[in-house]
Amino acid sequence: MAPAPEPGVIPAQLASPLAGLANRSSEAAAREKVLIRDLSFYYGSFQALHGITAPLYDKCVTAFIGPSGCGKSTLLRVLNRIYELYPGQRASGEVLIDGENILRPGLDLNRLRARIGMVFQKPTPFPMSIFDNVAFGIRLYERLPRSELSDRVEWALRRAALWEEVKDKLKQSGHSLSGGQQQRLCIARAIAVEPEILLLDEPASALDPISTQRIEELIAELKSDYCVVIVTHNMQQAARSSDYTAFMYLGRLVEFDETERLFTRPRDKRTEDYITGRFG
Amino acid sequence: MSSEHIIRSYDEELAKLSRTIVEMGGRAESQLALAIEAVTTRDSELAARVVEGDAAVDQLERDLDNLAIRLLALRQPMARDLREIFAALKVASDLERMCDYAANIAKRSIALNRTPPIQPVGALPRMARLAQLMVKDVLDAYVAHDADKAIAVWMRDEELDEMYSSLFRELLTYMMEDPRNISASTHLLFMAKNIERIGDHATNIAENVYYLVHGTPLSETRPKGDKSSLEVVTPTRESG
Repeated sequence: MAPAPEPGVIPAQLASPLAGLANRSSEAAAREKVLIRDLSFYYGSFQALHGITAPLYDKCVTAFIGPSGCGKSTLLRVLNRIYELYPGQRASGEVLIDGENILRPGLDLNRLRARIGMVFQKPTPFPMSIFDNVAFGIRLYERLPRSELSDRVEWALRRAALWEEVKDKLKQSGHSLSGGQQQRLCIARAIAVEPEILLLDEPASALDPISTQRIEELIAELKSDYCVVIVTHNMQQAARSSDYTAFMYLGRLVEFDETERLFTRPRDKRTEDYITGRFG
Repeated sequence: MSSEHIIRSYDEELAKLSRTIVEMGGRAESQLALAIEAVTTRDSELAARVVEGDAAVDQLERDLDNLAIRLLALRQPMARDLREIFAALKVASDLERMCDYAANIAKRSIALNRTPPIQPVGALPRMARLAQLMVKDVLDAYVAHDADKAIAVWMRDEELDEMYSSLFRELLTYMMEDPRNISASTHLLFMAKNIERIGDHATNIAENVYYLVHGTPLSETRPKGDKSSLEVVTPTRESG
C-alpha cells in the first residue's frame, strides 16, 4: 500500500482516467477545492462506485455524465453525505474538501451540509412562502436580525435571477411558481446559506428549453463564486455549461478532462462511443 | 460497443457524405485525364466538354455543404463524427478546386490548338499522371481513414513540384530561343502550374485525413520541391 499522498496530488497509479490533466500547472492545482480519492460506495452488498479518484476545481463547473446506473448521482450524494439518511449505505475512501476528509466519523454533518448546497431534478420548494423558503436554511444556521435576513433573502433571490419576478409576492407559496421559477427558488435557497460548493443533480431535466437555458446562464454566473458540480444525462448541456467533464460507466470513472477536449478528442474509446451515440 | 450509431439514419447520412466525396474525387481524376488528353490529341471538342463538366462538380460541392450543415444542426456531432464532417467540408473544397484547374487546362488547350504544336507538351502527361495517382491514393486513404497512407501521398508532392520546376526552366529556355514559342509556352506553363496546384490540394486532403484520424493537425513542414519562384534563366550565346 503506497504512503498517503499529499493533499492535492493525484497518485500515479490511480491517475489513468485523469491522464488529460497531466500537464496541470501548479496555479490550476491550487484551485482544487475537492479531491475525491479512491471512493467506493455500497448499497448494502451492491458496490455502486469503484475506487473513484477525481479533483473538483473551485470557481469551475464540473459535469458528470454517463448512462443510467453509472453512479453519477450516487457520487453526488456522497459529497454532502446525504446518503447517511438511509440505512445500509456506506462509503469508503476519502473526500477531501480544502484538504479535510469529510467522510471521517465525528464530522459535523449540519455544518457540512451548509457548506455544500444541493439542488435536485424535481424542484422541491418547501410548503411555505417564497420568503420563508429562502430564509429557512439561514434561520437554521445563523441568528440574523430581521433586516439582515431580508437583505440576505433578497441577495439570494437576485443571485438566482428570480428577484424581479417574485419581489412583489414574497408571501405567496413557493408552489405558486412555475417549474423553472421553482428550480431557481431552490437554487436561491441553496446559496442563501453561503455555501462553498453547489451540487446540482439534473437541475434542468424537468424544465422546458427556455427555462433550461436560464438555469444554464445562472450556472455560468454562479461559478464565479462557487465550486459547481452538475450531474446530467444531457450531453449537450454538459458540453455547453461545464469546464471539466467526467464520464462514468458502471460505477467507474472512465475519463476526466477539460470539457473541450473530452468532447472533441476523447482519449478512451468508451467515452467516444458514448458521446457520439454509439452506445448508451 | 459497436462502431455504428444507435440511430441508423445518422450512419446513413455520414455514409452519404463519404459517397459524395468519393464521387467528387472520381470526377477530379477523370476531368484531369480528359483535359490532358484534349491537350495531347489537340481535341478542342473534348476540351469544351471538360469545361462544361465542371458545373456538375460545383453542384456536388453545394450538395455536400447542405448535407454537412444539416448534420451539424440536427445531430450535434461530437469527437470523430464532428471531425469527419469538418474534414468532408474541407476535402470537398479541395476537390472542387482540382476540378476547376482541370477545366482551366482544357480551356487553355483550345487556345493552344490555334498554335503549332511544341515539344515540351510531352512533359504534361507525365506530371498529370503523377497528380492523378496522388488524388486516387489520397481518396483511398480518406475512405479507409488511413493516416499513414495519407502521409505517403503528402510526401510525393515534392516529386511533382520538382517536375514543375524542371518544366518551368525548359519552357523559359524555349521562349528565349524563339519568340514565336511564347504564346504556346505560356499556356503550357499555366497548365503545368495547374497540375502542380492539384498536387498541393491533394496534400491538403492528406492533412485533413491525418486530422480526421488523429484529432490533431499535422505539425511537420512538408518538403517543398518547387524552386521555380527562385528561378532565373539567363540567355547564353550557345543556347538553341
